[in-house]
Amino acid sequence: MKYPARPATTPPQLPEWDPAWSRIVEAPTSDGTHAFHVLDTLPALRAAGVEPAGTILALHGNPTWSYLWRRLARATVDAARSGGRAWRLIAPDQLEMGFSERLDHSEMPTPKSAQLRRISDRITDFDAVVTTLLAEVADSAAPNGGSSDHPIVTIGHDWGGVLSLGWAARNTDLVSAAISLNTAVHQPEDSPVPAPLRATLAGPMLPTATVLTDWFLRVTLSLGDLDAETRAAFAAPYANAEDRWAIGNFVADIPVDGNHPSDPELQRIGKDIAAFDKPALLVWGPKDPVFLERYLRDLRQRLPQADVHRFETASHLVSEDHDVAGLVLDWLGAQFDTASAAKNSVSASGPGSTAEADSAPGTDPAPIRAVTAILDSRRDDEAIASVDFAQNPAQQITWRHLWHVTTSIAGGLLDLGVKPGDRVSMLVAPGNNLTAALYACLKIGAVAVVADAGLGPKGMTRAVTSADPQWIIGELPGLALARAFGWPGRRISVTPLGPVRSRLFKTETSLTALSKTPHRAELPTPAPHDDAAILFTSGSTGPAKGVRYTHADISALAAVLTRAFDVREGTGLVAGFPPFALLGPAIGATSVTPDMSVTKPKTLTASAIADAIIAGRATMVFASPAAYTNVAATASALDDEQKAACARVELVLSAGAPVPLELMDAIAEVFPNASIHSPYGMTEGLLLTDIDRSGVAEADATGGLGVCVGSPIDGVELALAPIDATGDSAEELLEGDAARNRLGEFVVSAAHIKSGYDNLWRTTADSARDDLHGLTWHRTNDIGHIDEAGRVWLEGRLQHVVTTPRGPVGPGGLEALIDTDAEVSRSAVVGIGPDGTQALVAVLDAEGTALAPGLAPLELTARLREQVLDVSGQDLTAVLVAPEFPTDIRHNSKIDRSRLAAWADSVLAGGPVRGRV
Amino acid sequence: MRITVTGASGLLGSSVARALVSAGHTVTTLQRRPSGVAGAADVLGSVTDAQKVEEAVTGAEAVVHLAAKVSMMGDPKDFEAVNIGGTRTLVDAARAAGVPRLVHISSPSVAHTGDSIIGDGAGPASPEFASGEYARTKGAGERIALGADSADFRVLVLRPHLMWGPGDTQLTERVIDRARAGRMPVLGSGAALVDTLFVDNAVEAIVAAVSAVDTTHGESLVVTNGQPRPIGELMSRIAIAGGAAEPKLRIPVAPALAAGSLVEKVWELGEHDDEPPLTRFLAEQLSTAHWFDQRRTQEVLGWTPRVSVEEGLEKLAQHYRP
Repeated sequence: MKYPARPATTPPQLPEWDPAWSRIVEAPTSDGTHAFHVLDTLPALRAAGVEPAGTILALHGNPTWSYLWRRLARATVDAARSGGRAWRLIAPDQLEMGFSERLDHSEMPTPKSAQLRRISDRITDFDAVVTTLLAEVADSAAPNGGSSDHPIVTIGHDWGGVLSLGWAARNTDLVSAAISLNTAVHQPEDSPVPAPLRATLAGPMLPTATVLTDWFLRVTLSLGDLDAETRAAFAAPYANAEDRWAIGNFVADIPVDGNHPSDPELQRIGKDIAAFDKPALLVWGPKDPVFLERYLRDLRQRLPQADVHRFETASHLVSEDHDVAGLVLDWLGAQFDTASAAKNSVSASGPGSTAEADSAPGTDPAPIRAVTAILDSRRDDEAIASVDFAQNPAQQITWRHLWHVTTSIAGGLLDLGVKPGDRVSMLVAPGNNLTAALYACLKIGAVAVVADAGLGPKGMTRAVTSADPQWIIGELPGLALARAFGWPGRRISVTPLGPVRSRLFKTETSLTALSKTPHRAELPTPAPHDDAAILFTSGSTGPAKGVRYTHADISALAAVLTRAFDVREGTGLVAGFPPFALLGPAIGATSVTPDMSVTKPKTLTASAIADAIIAGRATMVFASPAAYTNVAATASALDDEQKAACARVELVLSAGAPVPLELMDAIAEVFPNASIHSPYGMTEGLLLTDIDRSGVAEADATGGLGVCVGSPIDGVELALAPIDATGDSAEELLEGDAARNRLGEFVVSAAHIKSGYDNLWRTTADSARDDLHGLTWHRTNDIGHIDEAGRVWLEGRLQHVVTTPRGPVGPGGLEALIDTDAEVSRSAVVGIGPDGTQALVAVLDAEGTALAPGLAPLELTARLREQVLDVSGQDLTAVLVAPEFPTDIRHNSKIDRSRLAAWADSVLAGGPVRGRV
Repeated sequence: MRITVTGASGLLGSSVARALVSAGHTVTTLQRRPSGVAGAADVLGSVTDAQKVEEAVTGAEAVVHLAAKVSMMGDPKDFEAVNIGGTRTLVDAARAAGVPRLVHISSPSVAHTGDSIIGDGAGPASPEFASGEYARTKGAGERIALGADSADFRVLVLRPHLMWGPGDTQLTERVIDRARAGRMPVLGSGAALVDTLFVDNAVEAIVAAVSAVDTTHGESLVVTNGQPRPIGELMSRIAIAGGAAEPKLRIPVAPALAAGSLVEKVWELGEHDDEPPLTRFLAEQLSTAHWFDQRRTQEVLGWTPRVSVEEGLEKLAQHYRP
């Protein structure tokens, strides 16, 4: 079959495409001069009166074309027009791809064909085109080591990722930074080519799948959330078989094994990339069926300096599903512009936050004590360090024993091949085993990855996969999940498994076996800014995020417990709340794990907590409100000795959710001599404010809007980012009087807040973008107000703000008000209609009430509307009763507002009431 | 200021004329029957009568044009004569007389294509897609008025939406009468959100427009209370304010769409006297959402509704209290 040559053309009218970007460029390649269609924004910039101050060189993969970069083109031109750095975007269509020239061919593409354009040719093509175009602008024509004020940055996707990285690595005199979306440098020898490609590559199928039909094209374009118009635009240059020869060419040129003609070149590219030491960004869509996690892992090993941003819900065409253009501009800004952007880049990608935060006024200026320092200092202490009621019978271990066990396990882990910085997924329930595993890891700088089982198998799989641990320490059922869902990591069981089960779960050894390892003379010591743990958020507002804590952060957290709640060496504490259950050895406190199921706090009984108090001679109790509710409900079963033990408790701490006064009173009956505190925090900052029982009573009496969580604890700086009419929080932070009595997002700074989010560069940079007083801050996403007394009142989450014409509203405040009505069980306040002019709607749960689904009764509506007007000046448009209240699986109390809002939107537009919510 | 008000025999027109008089303006009115507005000079006649129109606008510094044929049934020629022809006559006469300002009262129905309106602004008048002669001819009339806008003849269009209040015979009295007779139904769930406008606020918005037209013109603004309410709730509240029991009769949307119900009659007719007909279009309107973005309106007019829906209901209850 004969495929004729055809000159380069320009694209027709396409959505989101500006014809002014299209150029035809002749460039000298390995086989003579050829014509390329190139997306080049230089004319558009000059038309706007701007001269480029930087250049982005972009390369698409197979089977896309420069249309892939249209949003980056638009975003860069827009940014230049509004005064930002003017980035010129140069994005060629690869030869024989897109609207570039087609060469003539007399045969079908096959791996050994002499007519194939090899990856080495394609790097030469890219070089030829960009060299020609860079010469048009004086600043980009003369390379000076990438340090000029005209940076040149590459970006690529799919095959364009490898090729552009390879070109960047070979032109470090020119290139300042490199970015890649989903790509693969290397086909690891021990794993086969991914299944979807295998079928295509099976020799005789290749021409049919790629050239003769549009099968490969269609399959690839289905790997993103594309509408029909966009799909058609991507397919526009590939209508006929003679347009698609190069699609087959690319597939035929994939080096499936060491005998492939392009394999040596790909190996060389891989080596060259590993030598690239300029800033790099990897943007990843993990749902890609071809470019799997292992390729990201390989890239990160080659580019250890790279920042990573994963879009958990994205597939191969990640830039179609998510705002990659915005991410790229932010990242470039952090690399090349403004002092504060540069600072963000540091705190987003590495250490530095705690060092800065340590100088915060009011914090302890004492040097950071290692997390394991107290444990080490008590190596000969025969006092009880930890009591574990989860074991039957209860198991108690001394400080001496704990030190020996952790030291042995640490050595055993090193012998096994665990390196400092390796990540270890902990699939172990709180108790002595987890304490031993965790402190062994902390000793050698291995990073504990902790994802709450409450995320469910799917959520845990996503979380563990994104953290990409090298190791798993687990017991059943965690190991079974790891096996069933293919979680990464070499596996270590807690207790030895028999030969059958250890084969089944692929475990290599056990903690028990490791604990018999002879002590090493010396263990590697982690630095304060090294990662200590990755803790996953609850995932109630999107995929769970991994929160990065360094050793310094954990030390600071332990110090806060000492400072704010007087937990100190020798204190006995009953730890029924997971994050705090792990801190005992760091503080030197005797920690007691009560008999309860961690994922079901309601299983904690009064007797169990009393027995734990007795065993640890405890004076402090930490648990969640759900646990205390059950403790109060089962208090009648306490015998005299247990009652006496409870009466000795001095401090009761309830964390995880606000505690209403009624529950505080019930707790006070069980622990008559204790002061009862309810601190507020989140995975990113576990202790931020605190309120005690009398504080809750005082706050309740003020009738303030929302849930009062008290005042910032010692060492926490609190600021407010006011919310504007569109529902966004301001860039400028307010403090003191200026921050009083207005709706805003709470922004906090403390030594013990997170150091970043894991593999979420932009999320980290956004959350830590403030630099007030030179501190590192964290945007909490929680909204509310600060009252005259400096108390914090929560009114919901930033993304749930309702924006009416009368101003922004925090739904939580009004819900707390509405829920006090006798006819109401619970409510959700949502906004419907366009931002800035939304209608404020209260949706009530029919369950547990006498209300029928539909419009609420007139009198109830009138009453709630008047109350809302009184407290907020807002107009409550409607009160609806929903037949059901969707809540997220993990916290039965967290209401799925977006679904309720969609239901209310439909009902208030005349839709049916009885449909599914 | 010397101001001419057309259509001052209706509730809204006479109220506007009265408000302008008490604000110290010199008011001339044009309508077929005496306006009954103390202090205003009546010119009796139709807006289709060029001579009477010329007489009414000569020497005016502003014209507020409310006169319209409202009924949704009737001879299309009658609608065209008043709503299109009358507007053209008035615009021509006002320009010829050198009047610098025109506040033209239109209707949100001129831009309504049948879909739900959820927090939208005022779209352009589109008589081509209008349902019914009223909307079609009012749309064409609005185009004539806006088409004449210039620096010398500043035109501002207001579209009051679903006006109600004491003295309103169209919506308010009909709802109350039917509810008293136990025949006021609620369509579907009654939850479709609608914007309405209390009569006092309508008057004040129009008075505000007479000043606002100096700075903003060539634009159409929907005017509402900015407090959307579920239609069923509002109808019930109006009925109760009028001394009736809460309507309990619920009918599904489909039969109402089949044009068997009478409730539709109360739609849309705030400012005028004529009897509205029963149409499928009206049933659709009562079972779908119609509420608007009021930010631009309030910004341009420098006006906010003084009487809330709840206060309006209280005023209504006082009005009907025996």
